[in-house]
Amino acid sequence: MELFIQQLVSGISIGAIYSLLAVGYALVYSVYNFTNWAFDGFMAFGAFMAFLAISSALEAPFWVAALISIVLTVLLAVTSEKLAYSPLRKRKAPRLFMMISAMGVNLAIVNLINLFFGGTFRKFPVDNLQPIFIGNVSVGRMDLMAGAISFGVLALLWLFLYRTKWGLGIRASSIDILTASLMGINNDAVALIVFGITGVLSTTAGIFFGIKYAVFPMMGLVTIKAMIASIVGGLGSLPAAILGSMLLGILETLVSGYISSTYRDLFSFFFLIVILLFFPNGLMGKSGDEKL
Amino acid sequence: MGYIYAIIILGGINIIAVLGVAILTCYTGLFSIGHAGFMALGGYMSAIMVKEFNIPFPFALIIGGTFAGLCSFIIGYPAFRSRLRGDYFAIATLGFSESIRLLLNNTKTIGNITLGGAFGYMNIPSHTTVLAVIVCVILALYFAHMFVTSQYGKNSISVSQDEVAAQMMGVNLMKTKMIALFISAFYSGVAGGLLGFYFAYLSPSFFSITKSSDLLAAVVFGGIQSLIGPFITAFVLVAVPELLRSFAEWRLIIYGFLFVIVMIFRPQGLLGYVEINMSFVRVFWNKLFHRKAKTQEG
Amino acid sequence: MSDEILSIKNLTVDFGGVRAVNNVSLTLNKGEFIGLIGPNGAGKTTVFNLITNAIRPTAGQINFKGKSILGKSPDQICRLGISRTFQNIRLFPQMTAYENVELGLHSTPKYSLAEAFIRTPRALRVEANARKRAHELLEMVNLGEHVNARASSLPYGLQRRLELARAMATSPDLLLLDEPAAGMNEDECKDLINLIRQIHTTMRYAMIMIEHHMNVVMDLCQGSRIYVLSLGSLLATGNPAEIQSNPDVIKAYLGERKR
Repeated sequence: MELFIQQLVSGISIGAIYSLLAVGYALVYSVYNFTNWAFDGFMAFGAFMAFLAISSALEAPFWVAALISIVLTVLLAVTSEKLAYSPLRKRKAPRLFMMISAMGVNLAIVNLINLFFGGTFRKFPVDNLQPIFIGNVSVGRMDLMAGAISFGVLALLWLFLYRTKWGLGIRASSIDILTASLMGINNDAVALIVFGITGVLSTTAGIFFGIKYAVFPMMGLVTIKAMIASIVGGLGSLPAAILGSMLLGILETLVSGYISSTYRDLFSFFFLIVILLFFPNGLMGKSGDEKL
Repeated sequence: MGYIYAIIILGGINIIAVLGVAILTCYTGLFSIGHAGFMALGGYMSAIMVKEFNIPFPFALIIGGTFAGLCSFIIGYPAFRSRLRGDYFAIATLGFSESIRLLLNNTKTIGNITLGGAFGYMNIPSHTTVLAVIVCVILALYFAHMFVTSQYGKNSISVSQDEVAAQMMGVNLMKTKMIALFISAFYSGVAGGLLGFYFAYLSPSFFSITKSSDLLAAVVFGGIQSLIGPFITAFVLVAVPELLRSFAEWRLIIYGFLFVIVMIFRPQGLLGYVEINMSFVRVFWNKLFHRKAKTQEG
Repeated sequence: MSDEILSIKNLTVDFGGVRAVNNVSLTLNKGEFIGLIGPNGAGKTTVFNLITNAIRPTAGQINFKGKSILGKSPDQICRLGISRTFQNIRLFPQMTAYENVELGLHSTPKYSLAEAFIRTPRALRVEANARKRAHELLEMVNLGEHVNARASSLPYGLQRRLELARAMATSPDLLLLDEPAAGMNEDECKDLINLIRQIHTTMRYAMIMIEHHMNVVMDLCQGSRIYVLSLGSLLATGNPAEIQSNPDVIKAYLGERKR
């Protein structure tokens, strides 16, 4: 029972990390109709910047390092939108081109990191925190923190989207970007905000993932899980993305705890296939009829 | 001379795998970043056939390719049934190939066959010669050309251009996509087999996401709805890094920037929409020296 | 009864609380030509989408040639003999005019996959026949000169004709035309009327046409029926003269104009 609860907490914290990523994907997808493959690179970049800020001569405290890396990643995300997506968007290129362009950004970022830092696994420099004991159950402090902060960030995002004027603009753009711009919403500003948000989300995910496992250039591959989670939940909606992420995170941790950690990733993939066979539109998804 | 041979062999193998990706991506509009997985499946299967069962090398390649093709249905069927959108199909393929790699990494033995897990499958007989590769490349190009110009191939093209309209005109989407996926995985499987018979061993690390990115790069640069474009780029992308060793670590970074640049300035790729026949030489010449402002593809 | 090719009974579909099509019934005999009109948003295209199963109905029956086609996939329905054009033209943009039409001919390939790789004499003969047929169809819609033009490069009016030829290529028994005259001027409309009439008399398809140009509908539906949809429900049925003098129809159209 203790083991089960520990696993559950760990699963929730992983699910929370996946949620950050999955929500980022869903946000870009809902407005721009393409999957921002470069997310993977942003995440690794964010984690590396935080790592550097702490372990370099700067010796920044954790929170400062996190802040620095968020700012830098947001800058990177916004630059990539300006250079790689904006020109395509402006001439209404097919989604496929956006996707390839995003893959290019990702290849470049990940391999630049690899070139400068090498492919080795690094331990994220935070103190080994003592686990908290609740009765007999020991719970990782980092797991709790990752879960709490991730949900905090998601809650802030929700408030931003549903309680502010800019949030309204983004939601309007996600319904019809052309009409939104005719109604006086500045498309460029929306793009900067949306990509800025993805920078924040991916960095947060990157830092917590780095603490939990390690910091390495290919760490962003975990974003596959977030994409799987958003397919499982049902495409195109933020709550579905979170549901899928939590489910995947928890199930995955249980598999690695009770069966084998080696086959954890294999499990996620087969889980996706099984879900697709029985719920072709994901758990919460609606069928996407195309307008004729 | 051996060096040149190595480039021809590796370039040829890359061409075969890339032609497979081209059939799926450029002609059917399905994006895959997991073809390394099919290469691995075909490679291991054909190596086992030769090493453990003494099956002649050409048959082993066909068995390996067929095996990869059949395995492709594991992702193909659920993904096409749920009409997974382009990007998400790509994820499914990536998940598939990573799963294959993981599985191979952790499989030391199957029955009494020693696969070697992460250390790789050793002592595969060397069969891949320059001649064998050239024959395979010619056959691969010929059959790919026959397929894409056939009624089946044209149905694939229609699916890539407007899936809904194609279905309304009577195209069976599931069947069309499955056929394209099977052929594409078959090609990759054969390429994987040739790779094993060349290096005399296979390791799961050959078939990482980097390999899939390489294949995709050749297709993106080569051009959509063209076989000759990816054919050329597939070879160039192997030959250039081999010739310029110091460039190797920058390779993927440059690919990345080129992806963006190609999409912004020449989204149809080097030779998009150019079919194989002698006129491609003329078209290529025109494109190089009489650059007309081209409208973007819609 | 034996003459009936399409019968729709009490067809209804809801889109998240909005009833887009409400209890619509309609019958069509072999070789008949009927019109389907109504103000914008009346659910006309939705009816086509329901017939071709691009959308699933909430309730109701659709029988084609005496058998229910509910739940069949769009490609199966096409193979049974229903073909259509689209309100917003949906050609294969990068394929030539010829290839677009040819696709309609072989959307179910006429030779095996093995024959695709090794073109047997039989396969080559099949292809030659398809080529001939595609050219005939293109001639029929007066696109003979544009055989090798890319579909996306054709002017708007010609794209509409090409879509018509592609729909004919699937050799349908029922052809659904969704606003074939949209965006055309008077002269172009006249040509189109002649073309559609010619197709109808030579090919003997049963046809349903959605159209906003009243003169086109009234002209083509002479001696036949027009169905009027308004807000998803059937408002009136009758010959052109009856429809033109029906007060409900006039009100529905005027109501729209006032808004």
